[in-house]
Amino acid sequence: MASDLFDVSIDFETSHLFFPTLVHWILGGLLALILITKVAPFLAAVKRGERALPIVSESRDNLRFFATLALIPAYFALMAIVGDLFPYTGYGFLFVSMAFVLCMSLLYLHDWTKKALVIVVVNAVVAPSLAWFVLAKLFTITLP
Amino acid sequence: MEFLSVLDVSFFLLVGFGTLVGIIFGAIPGMTATMAVAVCLPLTYALGLNNGLALLLGLYVGGISGGMVPAVLLNIPGTPSSITTTFDGYPMARRGEGEKALRICVIASVIGGLISAAVLFLFAPLLADFSIKFSYVEKFLIILLALSVIASLSNSMLIGIFSGVIGIWLSLIGDYSISDGGNGHTRLMFDFMEPYLFEGFSLLPVLIGIFGISTILLEAEKGVKRDVAGERVKIGASGRFSLSTFKGSLTNLTRSSFIGTFVGMLPGVGGSAASVLAYTQEKNLAKDSSQMGKGAPQGLIASESANNALTGGALIPLLSLGIPGDATTAVLIGAFTLQGIQVGPLFIPENHETWYIMMTALVLANFVMFVLMFFAIKHIAKVVMVPKHILYPLIVMMCVVGAYAINYGIMFDVWTLLIFGVLGYLIQKIGLEVAPLIIGFILGSQAEVYFVKSLESFGTYSIFFTKSPIALVLWALIAASVLFAIAMGFKSRARQKMELSQMHTPSNTTAGKRHDSTNG
Amino acid sequence: MLLSRKTLMNVSVAAAMMGATLGSSVAMAQDAQLRGNVRVVIGSTSTGGDTYQNASIVVDRLAEHLGVNMKVDAVGASSAFRTLDRDSRGNTLMIFHDQSYLGHLYGVQGYDDIFEKYTIGPTIAINPGNAYLVPMDSPYQSLDDIIEAVGSGETVRVAIQPGGVSEIGFSALKNAIAIEHPGQEDNLVAVNTGSQSDKNQQLFDGQADVINGSVQANEQYTRLPESDQKAMRFVWLTARQDTIEQAPEEGLGQTTRDQLLEYVEPNVTVTMGDDENFTFDKEFFFLYNKEMDQGIVDQIDEALEAIYAEGDIQEAQLSAFFIPDFKPSQEASDYLQEKMSRYQEIIDNIN
Repeated sequence: MASDLFDVSIDFETSHLFFPTLVHWILGGLLALILITKVAPFLAAVKRGERALPIVSESRDNLRFFATLALIPAYFALMAIVGDLFPYTGYGFLFVSMAFVLCMSLLYLHDWTKKALVIVVVNAVVAPSLAWFVLAKLFTITLP
Repeated sequence: MEFLSVLDVSFFLLVGFGTLVGIIFGAIPGMTATMAVAVCLPLTYALGLNNGLALLLGLYVGGISGGMVPAVLLNIPGTPSSITTTFDGYPMARRGEGEKALRICVIASVIGGLISAAVLFLFAPLLADFSIKFSYVEKFLIILLALSVIASLSNSMLIGIFSGVIGIWLSLIGDYSISDGGNGHTRLMFDFMEPYLFEGFSLLPVLIGIFGISTILLEAEKGVKRDVAGERVKIGASGRFSLSTFKGSLTNLTRSSFIGTFVGMLPGVGGSAASVLAYTQEKNLAKDSSQMGKGAPQGLIASESANNALTGGALIPLLSLGIPGDATTAVLIGAFTLQGIQVGPLFIPENHETWYIMMTALVLANFVMFVLMFFAIKHIAKVVMVPKHILYPLIVMMCVVGAYAINYGIMFDVWTLLIFGVLGYLIQKIGLEVAPLIIGFILGSQAEVYFVKSLESFGTYSIFFTKSPIALVLWALIAASVLFAIAMGFKSRARQKMELSQMHTPSNTTAGKRHDSTNG
Repeated sequence: MLLSRKTLMNVSVAAAMMGATLGSSVAMAQDAQLRGNVRVVIGSTSTGGDTYQNASIVVDRLAEHLGVNMKVDAVGASSAFRTLDRDSRGNTLMIFHDQSYLGHLYGVQGYDDIFEKYTIGPTIAINPGNAYLVPMDSPYQSLDDIIEAVGSGETVRVAIQPGGVSEIGFSALKNAIAIEHPGQEDNLVAVNTGSQSDKNQQLFDGQADVINGSVQANEQYTRLPESDQKAMRFVWLTARQDTIEQAPEEGLGQTTRDQLLEYVEPNVTVTMGDDENFTFDKEFFFLYNKEMDQGIVDQIDEALEAIYAEGDIQEAQLSAFFIPDFKPSQEASDYLQEKMSRYQEIIDNIN
């Protein structure tokens, strides 16, 4: 009978693995297909020198890229640490954001003119203060 | 019109104020309509029921609409339901047509909102009875239909589907939640991750991480140069908006609005699935959808009319079954209980006055939203002219606020931003596709619950075909959607080949292209 | 203002830290008080649900009484426990209900023994609404009909959310059947599902014969005409008779207190053996970090004592259909532990 073919019984205790297992099979099948039809020809092309590997052999602004990658985790981590000193006041967010906005603006600023620097500094002070005041104070949203 | 006598000036002011605040919340990447309603909920106690509802419905409509702004201008969906708005909105903004794109969005939004309000008003109890015909099986098929957009959305179907399945996989990390009827066990992770990942990754941080943070990483890599998009906003004469853009879009508008209303009213499905589904259908059914995903107004129309139509749709089960249709209406229930009013199948018959007042507020909020947005757009669109060294740190900062606040203060949600920011960067580098991945992520966990629960109830796979006529209709739509995607795939491959062969004779290229765009 | 606030915070933080390090001495402990900003996390992610409502009724008054900033955050069970684990200074408190220990009894991942891991704070209120319903046209007129039917070998399916408050009534029913009709209890089958809408849907689909629900969420369904496919009937409220008797006379919606009393003992009984009947009141209470200073525990006890003595809070709770239920910390802890051991027996019995 056709219906027997489709019958399935799911044990509640292991039901959390039923769908993920299915997804793994599909994922595996697709990966194999992609390796054969896309990745293998691509790697062959790399070998022949027609194509370049992504990320490794691309040109990039190393300073800005890696500084960004360092700045963001530092921002998140410090925010939690400072925030913990002043529990549930949002000061962690407020003060660390000021520093972060300042650093990132300076990092991305190309021409350090006096006018641009003033704008950057004012922005770094005003924007986090405004966000903090409106959200933490007016709307009493919990901030770090 | 008796009920109008109980309304005073403050009612109208509160609708306006609510809509304005809602738009601002929605427009800030990471802040959502749900959050706007949640933070203002305590205020409603002091305001009383009528005025409280005025404020909250204003926030709801404004919040959903505001999501279009960062979606179009910054490629960051302001709310999860504006994800499909980024597909066409951002390419248009890149061409300097940001203002035009926003105007299209606003008009589509207000029409979607009003259509759904009308449907709510006229058919709420009737539709509620229809919506309970959708059991786990039909809901799974709806999700599957929405997922089928992945096939037609991507440049390479194989890569697109692969990316989508990765998205589904990512959404399964965490526990199989007991609040969905699961067994509460965690999977797809190591024990040490459990304290952070017990509930898996939250949608909003994932979304703004993969769109917002990864964009910044890609820019940083290029050295954050000044680009010309800012200046181009002014010169693009072709980018000026005119109502003629909507010519021939009537079907799209109506269809998408009804899809939005309908998906909104299915409890549990709601939210982001609406705009995805509307987008899918436009892509499948439109005469020419080849430009969709590259900056076509029709994509914006589908997406925005559907996501604003959610508002009326999600209120249907709330007011006629006592069950919220989406996250925001779930918070709205709190406003009723605070005032000692029960929502359920007898709400409308027993609270006639409140019902009319809600409808007034809803319609009014849509108009206020339209007026506020339509005339503010000129100024809002200038966001893209803010220098990047000022704009980017602020985006990161607001993403942090949004991520932290979405679950009422969870630090891991902030780290999720970074994880998915880096992931998004890598994905784009190795040539996987972000849009299918994120759609997979949004719909994955619902797909699981509905799929597994259907099988638990019926014990056979054949139930997906034999459950009801509704299921068969949904299968037909899924089949059409997939066939269409395959046909599109062949067509675009043929076109690529043609263009490749014309590379050698450059003089013909423009002619070839023109030929393409007319034939689609 | 900002600066002065900040220095103030600094001082208070320093004091709190010193308190923590020197906290062993009793003299210091008595000085410890709630200070600065206090966050009350709850075990639910919904700001429209009963936990949030209860918490905000109490926390608003507590904040006013103590003159500190307090805020309720709906972070959900797993995150709430984790946030509480990390903060022993008293800036984080938690409010949750019986799910906190039932989750542990049912072995749900992420739930530890709260009596071991946390300090139990005062109880604040009861939600008397936990209910079981059948379709209006169901052949079962009462809970006894269901027990008899299952006892005679009929399969009855009950839609519940597994692993806690929603399951405990089901377990008790199963236990009662095991006592009255030994060997037949496996005919009572759980349909594991999620939210209230999912449970209702199971009933509409004919995939369940009985569902767990609540007076608040399902009352209107019980007043629909029988011709409506959505119509339901209550068969059982798990609350104690005594609890429902404290509810306002007008009851909820159009269902009066007297009508609700028809569904509790002695009209509906679920035996636990030894002439004891099963009841379940969903109670809300505070949970504290184990290391938190006793001074704060006492402070909150005293403050709530005073608030409940005023009498205004009871009105607010009753009008939201909650039953006021204040027990100071120590009493609450003993009471809840006793409550848990009763339910432990039931769960052990049927497994």
